[in-house]
This record gives sequence, C-alpha cells and structure tokens, in this order.
Amino acid sequence: MIQKSKYKDILGLNRRNQEYIRPYNPPSAKRIADNKILTKRVLAKEGIKTPEVYKLIRSKQQLKFLDWESLPKSFVIKPNQGTGGNGIIVFFGKKKGELAWIRPSGDIMTKNDIILHIENILDGRFSMGNRKDIAIFEERVKTDPLLKQYSYRGVPDIRVICFNGVPIMAMTRIPTKRSDGTANLHSGAICVGIDIATGITTYAMQMNTSSPLSDIYEDIETTQDLAENKVLSGIHIPDWDRILEIALKCQRVSKLGYIGVDIALDAEHGPIVFELNARPGLGIQVANKAGLRWRLEKVKDVEVKGIKHGIRLAKNIFGGEVEESIETISGRKVVTINEKVLVYNNKRKGKKEPEKEVARAFMDTGVLTSRMSEAFANRVGFLNTTKYFNSLNVPKKFNSLKDAQEYIDSNVKNLTLEENIKRVAKIVDGEDVKVRPVVEVKVKISGEVKDIEAVIIEDSEYHLIIGRDELKGYLIDTTKTFRN
Amino acid sequence: MNYSPFTTWIIEHGVQEKTLELFVAITIIATIVSLFRYIFGTKSYGIYAPIILAIAYSYTGLKYGLAITLVVILVSLLSHAVTKKIRMHYITRIAINYCLLSIGIISFMIVINELRLGLENMVSVPPLALISIAVLSDFFIKQFIQKSLKTSVGTLVGTVLVATVGWFVITRDYVATYAINNLWIVPILIFANLLIGQFKGLRLKDYFRFKSVLKEKNDDTKK
Repeated sequence: MIQKSKYKDILGLNRRNQEYIRPYNPPSAKRIADNKILTKRVLAKEGIKTPEVYKLIRSKQQLKFLDWESLPKSFVIKPNQGTGGNGIIVFFGKKKGELAWIRPSGDIMTKNDIILHIENILDGRFSMGNRKDIAIFEERVKTDPLLKQYSYRGVPDIRVICFNGVPIMAMTRIPTKRSDGTANLHSGAICVGIDIATGITTYAMQMNTSSPLSDIYEDIETTQDLAENKVLSGIHIPDWDRILEIALKCQRVSKLGYIGVDIALDAEHGPIVFELNARPGLGIQVANKAGLRWRLEKVKDVEVKGIKHGIRLAKNIFGGEVEESIETISGRKVVTINEKVLVYNNKRKGKKEPEKEVARAFMDTGVLTSRMSEAFANRVGFLNTTKYFNSLNVPKKFNSLKDAQEYIDSNVKNLTLEENIKRVAKIVDGEDVKVRPVVEVKVKISGEVKDIEAVIIEDSEYHLIIGRDELKGYLIDTTKTFRN
Repeated sequence: MNYSPFTTWIIEHGVQEKTLELFVAITIIATIVSLFRYIFGTKSYGIYAPIILAIAYSYTGLKYGLAITLVVILVSLLSHAVTKKIRMHYITRIAINYCLLSIGIISFMIVINELRLGLENMVSVPPLALISIAVLSDFFIKQFIQKSLKTSVGTLVGTVLVATVGWFVITRDYVATYAINNLWIVPILIFANLLIGQFKGLRLKDYFRFKSVLKEKNDDTKK
C-alpha cells in the first residue's frame, strides 16, 4: 500500500503553478526566458556562453535577401519564442554542390524547404499563442565525446532546476532514434536522473508509447538503438560543479525564482546554455525517482549567501541518490568506512539500561572476525564475560600463533565456560599475538539487524571493528573516510 | 412553464428563455471543464472547444454528435496526410482542411441518407451544430502538427469526454429545470471555481504519472 504521506513529496502541476511559478517568476523575468534572443543578451552580460547566432530572420523580406552560400555546413534553426522544442531543426551536414542540408535522420531539406519552414516560424506556427515570431540561425553544439557515445546523433542536454539560489534536481535528456536526434522526451528521448552531489547518473526512463496516457515512463537500463548499447546509470557528467554554478548564475541574472536551465556540454567550449525555462516540466521527478516538493520546501526559507553556498547546500541536503541507486543495481548496501551502528544490549535488566547503544564502527577488510572494545562490551551486557575471562589469567601475549593455538587446545573447556563465550580466538593485535574471547552480539548496520561474532579486545579507538566476515553484501564508500 | 419570480423577471426584460437556458448551461459546462482539468488532470483543447462541443451535442444528440466528431477527425487526418506532402503556407493548409471537411461532411450525410447505418435522423441535425463540431478539426490538426498524433488524439479524447459529461448533465430535464429556476447556482458555480482554482493537490492523473516515484519511495520504507 502506498503511504499517503509519500504523495506530499511529489510536486504536481497545480502546486507548481500556484506556489512556485506565480509567486517567484515575475512576468518581466518570464519574458526573458520565453524569448531566446533576449535570453542570449541577458546571459552574455554575465559572461555565460550560449550558442552563437549566425543570422536572425525577422521578416519575409529579410528572408529573400538571405545569403545562403554563407551558411555553414551545420547549424540549427529555432523559433525565437517556440515552446517544447517545437520548430527546432538541426542540420549536421551540407549536400555537396547544392543548397541543401542534411538532418540527423538523414532527410535532406532544400533551400526551398527551409524557406517554407522559416515562413511558418515567422507566421507564428510554433510560438506561444501563435504570435508572429523571429527565426534564429544558430551554431550547432558539438557534443562532448563522453555524452556523445550515449546519444543517437543529436545533442544531449542537462536540465537543472534551481530554486532560491539552490540547485534542486537535475537530469540529462539523451536523444534517440525514436526522438529523431532531439532531446524531446515526448518524442522518445531518454531522461536520466543525476545525483546532485556527484553529477553521477542514477535512473533512466523513456516515455511509454504504448500507454494510452501521455507522460507515462518506463524504466530502462541501457541506451536503446545504438550499435552497442550502453548502461545509462553511473555516468559521471563532466564539469559538474561548473554546470551547477552556471545554472545558478542563470537564475540570478534572469531573476526567475523557480527556473529550469538547459545546458549542453560542448566539446570545445564546455557547458553552454541552451535555454532558460520559466515553467520547467515535472518529468524530472520520474527521472530521479524523487519528489521535488519536499526539496523545494526544504530550501524555501533558507538564506543562501552565494552560488558556492547554494551548491554546498544542495550537495549536503539532496546528495546521496547514487548510494541508493548502487544498492538498487548491485543489490548491495553502501556503508561508509566510519559508520555509526547500533549494538543491542546483551543482558538488558529493566528499563534503566538502554536497549541499544550507538557504536563508532570501523569497516576493516584487513581482519576476518569483527572486534569489540572491552569497555564497550561491558556497556552492552558483557561485563560478566570480560570479568570471567580476565580472571582466568590468560597470558597477555604469546610468542607465536602456534603457541597461542596450543594454549587454546589445552584450555578450551575452561576458556569457554562462561555462557556468552562462543569460542576463543588467537588474534594479532599490533605486534602481539593474543588469545581473546569471542561473543555473539546483535547489531544494526545500515538499517539491517544481524547477529555477528566479535572478538573482545582490550582497547581500541573504535567501539567496533567490522571484519570481512560481516562485510559480505556491502560496498564500502571510502570517500567519506574522515566524516567523523 | 412556470418559472421562479427572478427567472420570470429576466425573461420579461428582453432575455429569451432559450438564451437563458444556454448561458446557464455554459456556466455548468465551464465548471465541469475546470473540475476535469484541475482535479482529474484531463487535457482538453482549452475551455472553448469542450463547451461548444457539449452544446452542439445537446442539439444533435450524443449518437449523432459522436458520429459527426468521428467523421470530422477522420477527414482532418486524411486532409493532413494529403497536404503534408505539398509545400505550402500554414494557413492555406488549414484552409484546404476546411474545404475537404465540408466535402466530407456533406458526403457523409448523403451516405447516411442512402445506407441509414442507424443514423436515420441525420437530416434533422441543425447545421450550426454541425459547424460547431467541425471547428474541432482546427484544434486537432494544430496540435497534431505542432506536437504529435498521440498527443492530439489524447487531448481529443479528453475534450470529447468532458463534452460528453457536460452534455449528460445539461440535458437532464431535472438539472435544466432546477438550474433555470434557481439562478443562485451561478454564484455557487463561481465559488466552486474559486475553490478549484485554489486547489494545490495532485491531479488524479499525477498519481499514475508519478507512480514509479511513489513506488520507489515505498520500497525505501521497507528497507
């Protein structure tokens, strides 16, 4: 059963419009985002790169005098006030000796076809409210080689949603054969969620064409129509911090409180802003399998001191999807090298004693059996055990493992007489060989409760050292080594 | 028919009975459209198309109305399939569509006259209602050209669904009689729209759209 409270995490169209777009996006700011030429001018003032404009066609008269010979081999035609990618045509080659250009699908458009398309743009066929429009001849972005290998001919873009100076959520849209090389999700482009902290892709989705409802996505794991399909999760988006920084700069300069910034990675120029969106769609939640609403509410009243602060906040609050997604893909849980775990009290008497204690644990693949410090063992119900073992006057150290084993063999009955001692183990502690008791203790690691065997050692920096025996089924994240 | 004093007063002051009925019907259908849009998430071609369609259906009857709608859409698709191969301006393309539509509807009426097909009373369908339904073609083709066939068909289904619900409500005798005699329902409908206008919750459709997000969150709670 889906819990009602979970619905509250999702941002729907009604709330997006009423709580975020209307109050935070003033009409003057929306005008900038809805006008690509104006957007370019405003962003240029801030030093943010956008695709270069070759020509602007404002009227049919101007179109008549267009110097077709001067157009480059590859370019893009866009309506200035187009919506949802409508009316955008990409040309990536020119037919030799003719005034005809080649589209990603292989279709050829002659000069006359292009004139007709531009006339339709000028007539307002693709613009909001069918208003008269301007046609833009623009530079075709040359995709960064890393993302290029996932894309079918077109240019993948990265959408970052920012609110109140904080990047909230991100995804990349990858063109496919079905989408005819465009990054339009409704045409069949793939959307892949991005972990905001690391810039690593998480879940991949594609719109389900067989569903009678629109906007219904299905999970996919790899690209769909390349000669060699590739896994879409785990891609590390290059220049991630710079992308977030550019997205926030765009927000600042456009004065849109709630914004979607579309950024492409150009092979030569790096991150380059495609367009600003004053009404970004909600499909990004599906790509990230996470709700936007709680994220927006989390940063609503935060005082963000600058771009770096905004990025830091986003990484701290919203990062971590990658760990979860690795769990989903590999079936393994991710633990940090220094992890706080819960240890259940072995002999809880009455309510005065806590049921469980928080322990500082160190994940150590260098030891086989886990270890627990004596002081901590006493706290969690093994006081009698340590007292008993210490009363046995076992030598503090042995010369060799062989000596230790011989000692164990000859005293095993006596050494394991106490009820909690399961066995005794010979261990190497520093340079000394020791014989120590082994007990069974219930612990909760990364949400999972399990009984583990632990050698009680005399002293340790950590309450617990989790050994190889217990680390099967976990991935250790070493990037957070010094978190404590 | 005996009307309430207020309704009688309006009729006596230059408003035809039929006109009053029609405008009250518009307030009801408009509210149904906003309810479907913001609570259920049903897409329609704006608010104008479903209102006109519902009223047209009330003149044609649902059976005839849906049959004409189907013809309009099929002829529009055919017209688009033919004209998309010809290089021409956008408005001329739409104009050709209307020409073909006129031919198509007239031909359809002739075919029905010959073959009946259970639509014997087609001849008595008011021409203005026919034209009102034909307007749907413009909305349909525009979205088809700008977006995709799937999107446009989806919106068409939404529009026809909302119009059918509107038709059903306004053609119930007790609703019509009650509404015309209790004109205070108009401010009530305005208030209902104010409430719908404030609604920030998820639309019914969002629950399907974001099912995968909710499912994922639910799985997390199990861990």
